[in-house]
Amino acid sequence: MILPTDATEAAENRMRLTVLGGFLGSGKTTWLRHQLHHGLLADAFVIVNEAAETSVDDALLGQAAELAVIAGGCACCEARDELVTLLRSICDKRVSAGNGRPDRIVIETSGLADPGPIVGAIRADPMLAHHIVISEIAVAVDAVYGLEQLRQEPLSRRQMELADRLVVTKIDKADEAGLARLLATLKAINPGAALSGAVKGSDVALPDYSDAEPEVLGEIDEGAGGAPIRALKLDIGEEIDWTAFSVWLSALIHARGDDILRVKGVVRAPAGRLLLQSVRRIVQSPEILPGDAAGDDNSLVFIGRGFRADQLDKSLRHFAGLKERGQA
Amino acid sequence: MCSACGFPAAPGHWTEAGAATPHDRLRDRFRRAQVLQSVLPAYGLTAHDGAQVPGIQLGTLSGSQTIVRDLEAVWAEAERLSGKAIDPLDPRFIGERTA
Repeated sequence: MILPTDATEAAENRMRLTVLGGFLGSGKTTWLRHQLHHGLLADAFVIVNEAAETSVDDALLGQAAELAVIAGGCACCEARDELVTLLRSICDKRVSAGNGRPDRIVIETSGLADPGPIVGAIRADPMLAHHIVISEIAVAVDAVYGLEQLRQEPLSRRQMELADRLVVTKIDKADEAGLARLLATLKAINPGAALSGAVKGSDVALPDYSDAEPEVLGEIDEGAGGAPIRALKLDIGEEIDWTAFSVWLSALIHARGDDILRVKGVVRAPAGRLLLQSVRRIVQSPEILPGDAAGDDNSLVFIGRGFRADQLDKSLRHFAGLKERGQA
Repeated sequence: MCSACGFPAAPGHWTEAGAATPHDRLRDRFRRAQVLQSVLPAYGLTAHDGAQVPGIQLGTLSGSQTIVRDLEAVWAEAERLSGKAIDPLDPRFIGERTA
C-alpha cells in the first residue's frame, strides 16, 4: 500500500478547475448550460468571461451554484489580473468557510481567448497553485465551421491544439464528409485529446469515420489574416422596431457573414425579450427570455472584422427610416 | 439548448420571432415590405406583401415577379436578380463616399 504524501493530500483537497474554451459561437454556453441543468457540474462556481462589455451568457447559466462575470476583455490578456483576483477571493472564502465548497470551478472563456495563458497564470500564482488543480481544458468545436476555423484562424487552432477534451458540437448540422474530415484532422493535430460529440448540449456518439483522411493544415500567416477580430456594442435603443431591425440584420449577415463572426444580445419585441444569437450566417431561433426588461436589452454585441460601430448604427438607422444621430 | 434546459424558442424563421399575435404578424408583414421597399428600388427591384399569400413578392423593373418565403431568401434572390451584392455597409447606406 502506498501512503499518500502530503503533496498528494494537498492536491486532493484542491478545487478542480475546468477551462471551457472554444471559438466564437462554438457552443460553449449551450454545452455548459446542459451540464448544469442535468447536475453534471453541481456545486461548481462558474466564471463567465466575455470579450465584449455586455454579457449575455450569464442570463443562460442561472442554474450554476455560484456565478461571476468578467466582461470587457479576455481572461487570457486584458482581464487576466481580474481573473486571478477573482480566483483568489474564491480560495479565501472557501478557506474561511471550511466546508470544502466549491469543489469545482468552471471558467467559460470568451471565444477570443487562448486557454494557454489562463492556465499559465493560475499555475504561476503560488496561492492559486496551492488551492486549485487544473483538471481539464475542454474546447468546443463547431462541427460546421470548425475545419474552416482551423485553416484560417490561428487562435481557433491554438484552442483545439491545447485541449484535453474536444467537444464537437452541432454534429447534426454538419454534412457527413465535412464532419469526417474535421474529426480526422482533430485527431491528427491533437491525438491525445478525448473526442466527443454534442447536439444542443447533449452528448451524442460520434460516427466512426476511421477511414477519413485528415486535412494537412498549412501555416497561417497571422499578419495576413486581415484586420484583427474585435467586439463592439450596438445600442439599438427604443425607436427601432424589431421588424426593421430584422430586415437589416438579415441583409447584413447575408452580405457580411464571413466577417461578422458572432452577434448576440437581447432585443425587446411584442413577443417578449428575444435572445438573438448568430454564428456567421446561421441565426438560432430566438429564445424568449423570462423576466422584465433589463438594462442590457436592445444592446447587441457584434464580433468580427471589417466594420465599425458607427457604420452599423448609420446603416441600421437608414433601414429603419430614421435620421442619423445628431441630425435635425 | 436541449428542450429541457433552454427557454422556449420562437417558432418559424428567426426574423418573424417578434410577433406575439396574429395582429402583430400582419403588421410585421406590412412593415417588412415597407422597409424592403425603401432599400430594393436602388437595385432595380421592388418588394410587395399584400398578406394574401404566404411569402414576399419581389419584382424587377421589367415586370417579372417571384415569391420568396422569408428574408433570408429575399437577399439571395435579390442578389441573383440584380446581379449585385446588397450590402448594408455600402456607402449608400452609411453616408460615406468612396474616393
